[in-house]
Amino acid sequence: MPTTDPLLDLPAHVRPDPDAFLQAAMEWHFNPETGSPFWLRRMKSLDFDPRKDVETHDDLRLFPNVVNELRDVPVTDLVPRGYGAEPEIVGVFESGGTTGVPKRVVCLGDWLQRFVDWCNAKLDAHGFPRDVQWLGVTPGGPHIVGKLFERSAYTHGTFGMFVDLDPRWVKKLLAAGKTDEARAYGDHVLDQVTDVLRSQDIRVMAITPALLDRVVERDELVKLINEKVSAIRWGGTHMDAASRQLYRTEVFPDTILYGHYGSTMVLGVAGERLGPAGDADCVFDPFSPYNTFSVVDPATGHNVRYGDRGQVVMHHVTKSLLLPNNVERDTAVRAEPLQGTVGDAVADIAPVEVFEDGVVIEGVY
Amino acid sequence: MTDVIRLPALGPTGEYVSGTEATVHDVAGDLIGALALVPSVFVTRALSSLRKAQPLSAEERLSAIARAGDLFSTATVSGLSPDAYVHAVCRVSGLPVSVIHSAAQATGHRAHNVSRAVEAARPQDSVRDWRDPLTRTGRAVWVPKGEVFAVHASGLHPGGHSLWLEALALGYRVAVRPNPREPFTAHRLVAALRMAGFGTDHVVWLPTEHEAGAALLRGADLAYGGDDVIRKFSPSPKILAQEPGRSKILVTADQDWREHLDTIVDSASHHGGAGCVNATAVFVEGDAGPLASAVAERLGALPSAKPEEAAAVLPVQAVTSARALEKFLRMKAGDAKPWLGAEQVVDELGDGSAVLRPAVHEVDRPDAPQLDVELPFPCVWFAPWSRRDGMPALRETLTLTAFTEDDGLFAELVAEPTIANLHRGDWPTYWTDTGLPHEDYLATFLMRCKTVIRS
Repeated sequence: MPTTDPLLDLPAHVRPDPDAFLQAAMEWHFNPETGSPFWLRRMKSLDFDPRKDVETHDDLRLFPNVVNELRDVPVTDLVPRGYGAEPEIVGVFESGGTTGVPKRVVCLGDWLQRFVDWCNAKLDAHGFPRDVQWLGVTPGGPHIVGKLFERSAYTHGTFGMFVDLDPRWVKKLLAAGKTDEARAYGDHVLDQVTDVLRSQDIRVMAITPALLDRVVERDELVKLINEKVSAIRWGGTHMDAASRQLYRTEVFPDTILYGHYGSTMVLGVAGERLGPAGDADCVFDPFSPYNTFSVVDPATGHNVRYGDRGQVVMHHVTKSLLLPNNVERDTAVRAEPLQGTVGDAVADIAPVEVFEDGVVIEGVY
Repeated sequence: MTDVIRLPALGPTGEYVSGTEATVHDVAGDLIGALALVPSVFVTRALSSLRKAQPLSAEERLSAIARAGDLFSTATVSGLSPDAYVHAVCRVSGLPVSVIHSAAQATGHRAHNVSRAVEAARPQDSVRDWRDPLTRTGRAVWVPKGEVFAVHASGLHPGGHSLWLEALALGYRVAVRPNPREPFTAHRLVAALRMAGFGTDHVVWLPTEHEAGAALLRGADLAYGGDDVIRKFSPSPKILAQEPGRSKILVTADQDWREHLDTIVDSASHHGGAGCVNATAVFVEGDAGPLASAVAERLGALPSAKPEEAAAVLPVQAVTSARALEKFLRMKAGDAKPWLGAEQVVDELGDGSAVLRPAVHEVDRPDAPQLDVELPFPCVWFAPWSRRDGMPALRETLTLTAFTEDDGLFAELVAEPTIANLHRGDWPTYWTDTGLPHEDYLATFLMRCKTVIRS
């Protein structure tokens, strides 16, 4: 087995020098002995040499956006050869299919471990209780959020219970104008949530903002959550500042509210920055240098200024996967990153109206 | 340039500023107002508060509505004097200042008469209160079908808002989603009702984007209006959707149209010709040409003016939307004979706004598709009509004014289910009075009768 640069195997709490890490990752992904069949093949049509020319985070923009090629690449071609004959594949995950045929990525065990460790540290920082029962109101698959929920519940918590969601179905209903059916599906989900909360000792919940909006229509459910749940992790769709403020001050005043923003395609999420109490801004920091963001002007591809809105571009650079320049369907306000990290933090995320000639449907899931 | 009018939401515990604003521009494109948008979670919680609120007694409600009507037309409400209010509505709606001014007076008047208006709708054998001695021997009691009524306002004419006062009078708690183009009237009315004694959890004003608007529709027992949300969710038994008026005029051969020219011209152009009660089509038994020509001559003489000027009688819009209307009209008109054609409809005022000048066309048959084309300015289509053509051309009509000596024909019009209101003789299509239905009584939608007997 070829040797691996130790920079690629650091535990979550040890942050590598971003440039040194990036160069080690380029060496890994574009060395014929360690790189994935996909990238080794794709390298031939690049007009630069990643092992020479990619030295800093800004150089990631040299890469084309290959994400559309992930709609039909055999997933085994995405696994770096350096993992040997028996890589620990912990999941094959798919994008939402909002903008066409789903795209697929492979998640390997070392990354999931590091990522969940980082997530758990963020949960601690936000005051989530340890060793309690979780309830996940999220898709079980094929998106990464189900796996993340499960790992979080069983490592930060004691275990988790699941109410499954099928966001693709909801999007389909909404696209067809079947709002009543989408609503009935939401009711079906919330009925199950109510059942679990009535009888079980749930202390942490993971749920989407759209469903949280629907929770508020049910007095019993609001009461159950306020009685039992001490922390809510939300993600999957956007939560506007006014709603977030109302949740924190009026609906769930004694419950910790902590947001995630991410994408299956980059095998990760950014976590809400811990701000002063009552702070209206919700800033998300990704797990740099592995998951990073750029907020750009879609016309030029250049960063917008801090405080300005632009399109979100996500990058994933780890030993397990290289996926730079994934243009997301969201816009966000570019925020200053935390010290010692690369790329941008993002705030005030909103969906772009039209993306790649398809109409984006945010959905109620 | 006046200051921007910032309107906080009027929520169940008072004013609320979300931090997200929608801007309101006048017809010249100048920023004139900003609304605090509320998210779905706010709407849901507001409706829940409304549902829990104990309504005032019927007497208290009626006197508070009357006081609110006075405040609306005469007092400074939310920092806006009556004149400042009228000016703002005039500039955003583009409707003539005289129209807005008289609508403000009419709202005060209707608030005083809301009791008469709803009593007119009550089935004659029913009583309002279960305590009525008549229930001892068995009686119908007239009761609301629900508790929370949502209004999705869509029109630019302020007059439409006095209608939902009836729901408040009948005991409903009311949530109003304003028209984002003209939010001032609804805000002023809700604020005045609160000044007059309604609790903040009895009547709320909630500007929302589409998604929270849907939450408003879902959370209410019954809803009324004509905005994008209503259109998306109707038909539904809990929704009363506002439809185009397609008001019409019929002149039979036994009439000399010259005697009714004033009424016909007025029906097309009153209140700027922008309303659902303005005549869209005129059917003439015989040759429609001479009447079309005479109406065109009269309408063509109306002056162009900025909406806030005393001379204004025609509506004004932003040039871009005026040009879009012109294009739409030209496309729809097709081969109709133009007495006042699309080319003269837009009269630019030079400040980014344009007067919408009247359009008069003549078509050659009573089932021409143009006769359904209703536009927000005086735009009227003339067609020949004969007894052989009969009812089909006259259907789907909010108000029909008929000039005819023929009682048999008039009886047929009365019997026609798709004609909502019928005027005979020199009563213009827009005429109405307290206690008369607009599109049936709103109370028919809001109320039901239930048998009560007690010992």
